[in-house]
Amino acid sequence: MQPPPGGGKRDFGDLFDAPLLKTGNTIRTCHNPCLMALLEVRHLTKRWPTGRLALDDVSFEVQQGEILGLLGHNGAGKSTIMGITLGMVRPDTGEVRIGGRSVQKDRGGALQQIGAIYEAAVFYDYLSGWQNLRVLCSLSGWWDETEVKRVVQMVNLNRAIHQKTATYSHGMRQRLALAQALLPQPKILLLDEPTDGLDPEGIREFRELILHLRQHQGMTIMLNSHLLGEIEQMCDRCVIIKDGKKVFAGPVPSQEKTRRIFQLETSDIGLAREVLGRAGATMDKHGIVEVPLNMEPHDLVTALVQGKVQVSAWQPHRRTLEELYMGLSSKS
Amino acid sequence: MMLFFQQWYGELLKLFARRRTYIGFGAFVALEIVILLLIKKFGMGPIQKAVVGSGESFEYYFSALTVASTVMGFSVFLLGALFLSLVAGDIVAKEGEDGHMRLLLARPVSRFRLLLLKYLTCTGYAFFLIQFLAWTSFLLGLVLRGWGGGYFAIVPEVSVVAFYDWGPGLQRYACSSLALGLSMTTVSSIAFFLSCFRIKPAAATIGALTYILVDFILRNSGFMDSYQHFLVTKHMSSWGRILSETIDWPLVWRGYSVVFAVNLTLFTLGYAVFESRDLKS
Repeated sequence: MQPPPGGGKRDFGDLFDAPLLKTGNTIRTCHNPCLMALLEVRHLTKRWPTGRLALDDVSFEVQQGEILGLLGHNGAGKSTIMGITLGMVRPDTGEVRIGGRSVQKDRGGALQQIGAIYEAAVFYDYLSGWQNLRVLCSLSGWWDETEVKRVVQMVNLNRAIHQKTATYSHGMRQRLALAQALLPQPKILLLDEPTDGLDPEGIREFRELILHLRQHQGMTIMLNSHLLGEIEQMCDRCVIIKDGKKVFAGPVPSQEKTRRIFQLETSDIGLAREVLGRAGATMDKHGIVEVPLNMEPHDLVTALVQGKVQVSAWQPHRRTLEELYMGLSSKS
Repeated sequence: MMLFFQQWYGELLKLFARRRTYIGFGAFVALEIVILLLIKKFGMGPIQKAVVGSGESFEYYFSALTVASTVMGFSVFLLGALFLSLVAGDIVAKEGEDGHMRLLLARPVSRFRLLLLKYLTCTGYAFFLIQFLAWTSFLLGLVLRGWGGGYFAIVPEVSVVAFYDWGPGLQRYACSSLALGLSMTTVSSIAFFLSCFRIKPAAATIGALTYILVDFILRNSGFMDSYQHFLVTKHMSSWGRILSETIDWPLVWRGYSVVFAVNLTLFTLGYAVFESRDLKS
């Protein structure tokens, strides 16, 4: 059997014809200070009744059109942030604002703009996928059969939508979960570990779908995961939570445009560090050199050579999210 | 308002799409048939004694209505409270336990509205189930005794003994079944209230049944005679007054005022408990 064109990838392009949503332009640049923050998390603190501190003064923003990854180990507090954002968990202090509306003060208004998969999406097994969508959409006060059909087709469930969800595989349930989150036309999607339990094929399909949503509809997405690869491949920025504290917020390393990092190979590590230090650059113990913004990389190489450092190799280095995450973990 | 009904339709769809709901109806019909067969085989000894003791013809009052009343009484006593507690105990606790609640509350719907929908669903179900019981009992009574005859109504809890002809009897039977339906919403309300806590659905069901049973035992034990007005089953039994030849309306209204006040209080407390909960696994 011949694989479908595009190596088995689905083309979602023709399915993004919702007139209310389509921007007409492909949206790629995201971390732009001119864009408004669609979701603001402000000084969230939450202590569970057991006394455990779940969140400790966590603040960050999700800007319009960006995909922000919320990263952390199990129990770090990621789902608690999601829960507070959806008004299901009450913070001790702080608030979440969606499109300028406080979830804690005007939950109904704030949640009009959100679609979410929060923790494992559990559907009513004795209802069909379609009936599940109907029940859920009625709670948003909305039902548009044409739009529902479009979204069902987009998540590739059109053949199974009238079957009982008891017969669905895990992947189909996740796709149904995404469909319900996309109805009715949210501005921001909250996805809580959406690829948990999916097979590699399912993960790839899910990832492509999410990226298409952002690219074609300008959807703002907050994605919660403990899978570094998932965050790295999908997100523009990430917030790393460790034991309830925000330990990092910034671009995903592989998406970094402004930082220039090089790998220096030399037998004179000590001398090299001294020379680079004099030039205003820093180098870690693995020879990773960060070039200051006011310098050109070749200026540093010149300085090294003039400082009599034996340079065996000097090549651009792309820092991985894993390195960043592990670095933060080892620091704390 | 239209939106509210659409949302309520969603709740009813969930309830009536479950096989268990129909198994429950089936179980009730089966129980009614068993009771009917027992009546057919062994007769209605105590009823016969009461009718004959009052100087009336048992043959005339041994009718579909009298049989239906007896069958319905036993069915509600044996299974009604259990099944209503089961449904109402599930309605919040099970959805919380299974994770459905998180899916529902990720929508821009308030917890109050969601609970109100669920409360109306389980109390509406209680009312509907009792009507189902009343009229299936009546149909079975018709099968056994046919159309016509008198109606001998006896409700010892409220000291009601009454004799009716077919037409007025049928009216009283219909009205009393509506009133019994209203009374039984309190069983659902107790289970619903317990269901709003972070507990297992079975715990809510058992808790509600225990409460009703203890209340019932206390009411019939004698030593609580001076405090009967504190017992909810006392007020729930107001439905029986509808069968009295001269209805004591002030007592009926008082009984139902208490029933509605209890229901409202239980809903409000349940909502307060649910509202204060953090919904996270």
